[in-house]
Amino acid sequence: MEDLASRIAAYLAHRMPAASGIEVSGISRIHGGASRETFRLRASWQEGGARIERALILRRDPVASLIETERDIEYNAYRAFHPTGLPVPEPLYLETDLQWLDRPFFVMEQIEGCAAGSPFNADPYGPLAEKIGRQFWTHLGHIAAADPHGIGFAANMEEIAPDECWKRELDKWEKVIDEDELEPQPIARAAIRWLRRNPPTPAERISVVHGDYRTGNFLYDGEGNIRAILDWEMCHLGDPLEDVAWAADPLWAFERAERPGGMIAREEALRIWEEASGLKADPVRLRWWEIFNSLKGLAIWISSGKEYQTGANRDPILAFPSWYCTDVHNRVLAHRLAELSKEARA
Amino acid sequence: MKPDVGTVMHGFFGTLLGEIAPHLGAEYSMGNVGIMGMMMYMVAEEYDRAADIRATENREMRSLFSHAATLVTEPALKAKLSSAAAEKETSLRIQALNARNAALQNLLIELQAHAEASDAGWARNLEARIWDYLVAAAERRKLPLPSFG
Repeated sequence: MEDLASRIAAYLAHRMPAASGIEVSGISRIHGGASRETFRLRASWQEGGARIERALILRRDPVASLIETERDIEYNAYRAFHPTGLPVPEPLYLETDLQWLDRPFFVMEQIEGCAAGSPFNADPYGPLAEKIGRQFWTHLGHIAAADPHGIGFAANMEEIAPDECWKRELDKWEKVIDEDELEPQPIARAAIRWLRRNPPTPAERISVVHGDYRTGNFLYDGEGNIRAILDWEMCHLGDPLEDVAWAADPLWAFERAERPGGMIAREEALRIWEEASGLKADPVRLRWWEIFNSLKGLAIWISSGKEYQTGANRDPILAFPSWYCTDVHNRVLAHRLAELSKEARA
Repeated sequence: MKPDVGTVMHGFFGTLLGEIAPHLGAEYSMGNVGIMGMMMYMVAEEYDRAADIRATENREMRSLFSHAATLVTEPALKAKLSSAAAEKETSLRIQALNARNAALQNLLIELQAHAEASDAGWARNLEARIWDYLVAAAERRKLPLPSFG
């Protein structure tokens, strides 16, 4: 960590020519950053006759990760949403020159004095669940309502037509399963066939899709205020119902589908989202995205298992979801698809 | 082998989370110890049931294929179903059971896709039977997760 501190200090000196006496301390790697190595740190420097100190987060590309993503897409999401009032950390520097820390990274503001709920806890928010839940779904509605071009999110993003969202996402995650599965996946394959036989109607609008909006990916303070929405590495343009379905996935609620994310009741959650977004959570379209998202989850867990099995990355955080989350999503999909199969044949 | 593997894994889980993790200074190391402890908790269950789950799945898939071979008319698939239905386990080692399980699951995928695409009268019942198998198999493999809530 000492070597890392001096290298980060050298980088900050490069980015802040008016600063002097830069010191970096308290570097600690945060657990759970499966797609990036995430470090918290404190930087202090002399500038304009005063000593300034700031808590920062540094996100560095790993050698191999659970999700193959481009760090500039995540950084751009923070840059687009920070001025809108959505609670996200202020992005500071994006660096792709390998001379500084061997791999690309970005630096952003650290939101202090907060916690992140665990999706593997039956009651992750305790008495704050109602208050947090209302904000959680309101913020997601605001993300869906944001103009991707107006806030600068769509720059360098692949455009998509409303009737193509489902196919692009399904093609992408089916390819991951094709490439990474280490054993046959009969439930995933049945899900893919069902999804292709029953495509959804076009997206009501093209929105920013966070891609991993769920319990565990936001910070809240002791009063139950959501202070930062994090982990935008899978964000893209698409159907906003994709995020609604992912946030409502039973995996993030200890399998209690009626209370998404361990927060508020599903019916109330969808009502709040509709009000905040101005869009409709059409049940038939939402069902398609829910089944898709359980499949997308399987693809991610299959991929993480391969990373661990092949030795590309031996971080235990990659092994755990390949066991536990695969198990949950297989059960969720098996029950839903069995019902749908029987309905279709009735 | 005594103490039992399950007892040892549960014991290690408690030691890791209750005694070792609180004394680690690095947040990242604490998180990893937590994950490893939870996976030991799961291994305790999996050690006891792994062979039984795989042998049961393989037996049930063979039974399903034996039935399907009487219904399916497509010659190549029918031959594969009959052949798989007649196989028996040659080893109860997990790696051997896994290899046989993978071959049978690939055939199950082919059979299910075939049934879904068929309008024949038998297809509806066969599809339902396949889903009954898949739901039961997924439930059998459910892993225990210690609750910290």
